[in-house]
Amino acid sequence: MATAARHTNPDTFGDLFSKHLTDRLKLLLVYAILIIATAQTIYPLFWMVFGSLKTDADLFNNVWGPPRTMIWQNYVDAWRIADLGARIGNSIIITVLSLTVLLIVSSIAAYALARLQFPGRQAIFLIILATMMIPPEVTVIPLFIVVRTLGILNSRFGLVFVYAGTSMAFSIFLLRGFFMSIPPELEDAALVDGANRLQVFWHVVLPLARPGLATVAIFQGMFFWNEFFLAFIFIRQAELQTIPLGLVNFFYRYSADWTLYFAALSMVTIPVIVLYVAMQRWFIEGLTAGAVKS
Amino acid sequence: MITPAIILLIIFVIIPIVYGFYLSFHRWDGFSSPVFIGARNYIRLIERDDVFLKAVTNTIIFAISVVVVKNVLGLFLALLVNQKIKGVIFFRTALFLPVTLSFVVIGLLWSWIYNPTFGLLNAGLELLGLDSLIRAWLSDQATALGAIITVDIWKWTGFHMVLFLAGLQSIPKDLYEVAIIDGANAWARLTRITLPLLAPVTFISVLLSLNGAFVRNFELVFVMTDGGPNHTTEVVLTHLVTQAFRFGKLGYASAMGFALFVVVAVIAFTYIRIGRSGTYNF
Repeated sequence: MATAARHTNPDTFGDLFSKHLTDRLKLLLVYAILIIATAQTIYPLFWMVFGSLKTDADLFNNVWGPPRTMIWQNYVDAWRIADLGARIGNSIIITVLSLTVLLIVSSIAAYALARLQFPGRQAIFLIILATMMIPPEVTVIPLFIVVRTLGILNSRFGLVFVYAGTSMAFSIFLLRGFFMSIPPELEDAALVDGANRLQVFWHVVLPLARPGLATVAIFQGMFFWNEFFLAFIFIRQAELQTIPLGLVNFFYRYSADWTLYFAALSMVTIPVIVLYVAMQRWFIEGLTAGAVKS
Repeated sequence: MITPAIILLIIFVIIPIVYGFYLSFHRWDGFSSPVFIGARNYIRLIERDDVFLKAVTNTIIFAISVVVVKNVLGLFLALLVNQKIKGVIFFRTALFLPVTLSFVVIGLLWSWIYNPTFGLLNAGLELLGLDSLIRAWLSDQATALGAIITVDIWKWTGFHMVLFLAGLQSIPKDLYEVAIIDGANAWARLTRITLPLLAPVTFISVLLSLNGAFVRNFELVFVMTDGGPNHTTEVVLTHLVTQAFRFGKLGYASAMGFALFVVVAVIAFTYIRIGRSGTYNF
C-alpha cells in the first residue's frame, strides 16, 4: 500500500531515494530524536548519582563524567545529618494514613452516590464536581486558620486530614464512575439473599472495584508522598517533617556540602525510580487515568 | 454512609472557600480580631502592589509557555513512540520518569544543573565551545524565569505524551489505510485524521496543564530562586505566602488567594461545561 501511495502521490523524498533507503533514514531520525529526548531525561539522574559518590574536587573538576573514586561515606554522612530515617518514616506514616482515610471515606460515599437514592443526592454530586478542580493552594490562608482552630497545626494527623479532605472530591468522583460500571445484578442477588448494603459493599462491590481503588491509591499516593506546599505550611517542627521538607531544610542549612546533597537526593529518589520501573504499567495507567477521569 | 465524606469536604474545602472570601475584605494579622475594610485589599493589589502585578505577569507567562510547550512536545513524542519500533517501551518508560519525581527533588536537581560552578549546563556549553552562552542561569534576571519554566516542562512532558499516546491508540487503524489508498501523504493524514480525532484528548490535556499552571508553580520557584532575583520569578503563590507568613497580612493574602481561586474556578467551570455538553465523550 505504501508503494501505491508513492505512485499516486510522489513526494520529493520518494524521488530522491529508493523506498528502502528513505525508510531507513526516517527510522534513523526517529531514533536520533528519541535518544536525545531520553538522554536529557535520564542523564541528569545519572549525574545526580555520580555526584553523590564524588569528592568535592571531583564534583567541581569532572562535571560530566562518572566519579573517579567512590566515596560511599557521603551516603552515611548525608543520612545522619539530614536525619533521613525520621523523614522517611514521617512520609510513610503520612502517606499511608492519608490513603487509608481517603480510600475508606471516599469509597463508601462514592458507592452511596452511585447506587442509593436519597434526598440531596444530585446537589451533593454537583458540589463534589464543582470543588474537584479547586486546588487547596488557592484557599491556603483560610485552610491554615481552620487547621489552627482545630488545634491540628504541626501534627501528622492534621496533615493527614488536610490531605484526605482536599482530595476527597476527586476520589469520590473517580470511584463513583467505577461503581456505576459494575452491573447491579450482582448486588441485587446478594441483597435478596439477605445481606445488608454494607455487607454487599464490602464483599461484592469492593473486590470488583480493585482497579479503581488502585488508580486512586497510586495517583493520590504519589501526590501525598511528593507534596511540599501544604506540608510546608502546616508542619514547622523539624521532627515531623516529610522527605520534601527535610530535603529543603537540609539544603538550606549546610550550604557547601554539595556531595552530601547529591547523596541525600539520590537516597530518596532511587527507591521511587526502582518502584516506578518495577510497576511502570500501574504507575503510568494510574497517574494518567486518574488525571483524565477527573 | 456519605456523612464522613461530607464533613471532611465541608471542613477542608467549603469552609476555606467561604472563609477566604470573608477574610479578603478584612485587615488581619491572624491574632487580633479582623477589621472590615471593604474592597481595599483588592484595590491595593491592583493599584499599589508592583510585586503582585509582576507576579501575575510571571504566572501568566509561566502558564502560557508551559501549556503550549508541554502539549506540543507531548504530542510530538507521542507520535514517535506510537510506532512499532524496537525499544519503544524503554523510551516511553524513560520519558515518563520525571512525572513520578517530586517538585522538590526536581527543583534541587535542576538548580544544581544550572549552578555556575559545577552545573551540567555550563560545563556542557563549554564542551561544545559555546562559552559565550555561559551564565548564572538562576541569578540572571534575563534567564531565571525561563530556566524554571523549562524545568516544569521537563517534569510534565512525559505525562502529556502518555495522554496523547492513549488517544492515538484509540484511533482505528483502517482510517489510515483508507487514507493511504486515497493518496493522502503523511502531513495530510496528520492534519485530517490524527489531529481532529485527538481533539477530546487535546482538550483534556490542555485544561489539565492550564489548571496546574496557575498553582503548581510554588515548589519550583521556592526551591530554585525563592522569587528572585529582584522578583523576576515571583509568582502569585510565592507572593501570597510571603505576605501571609512573613509579614502576617492574612487578609491581604486571602484577597490574592481568592483572585487565584476565581481564575482556577473559571477554568474548572469551562471544563465541566464543555465536558458535559457532550461535544466530547469522556
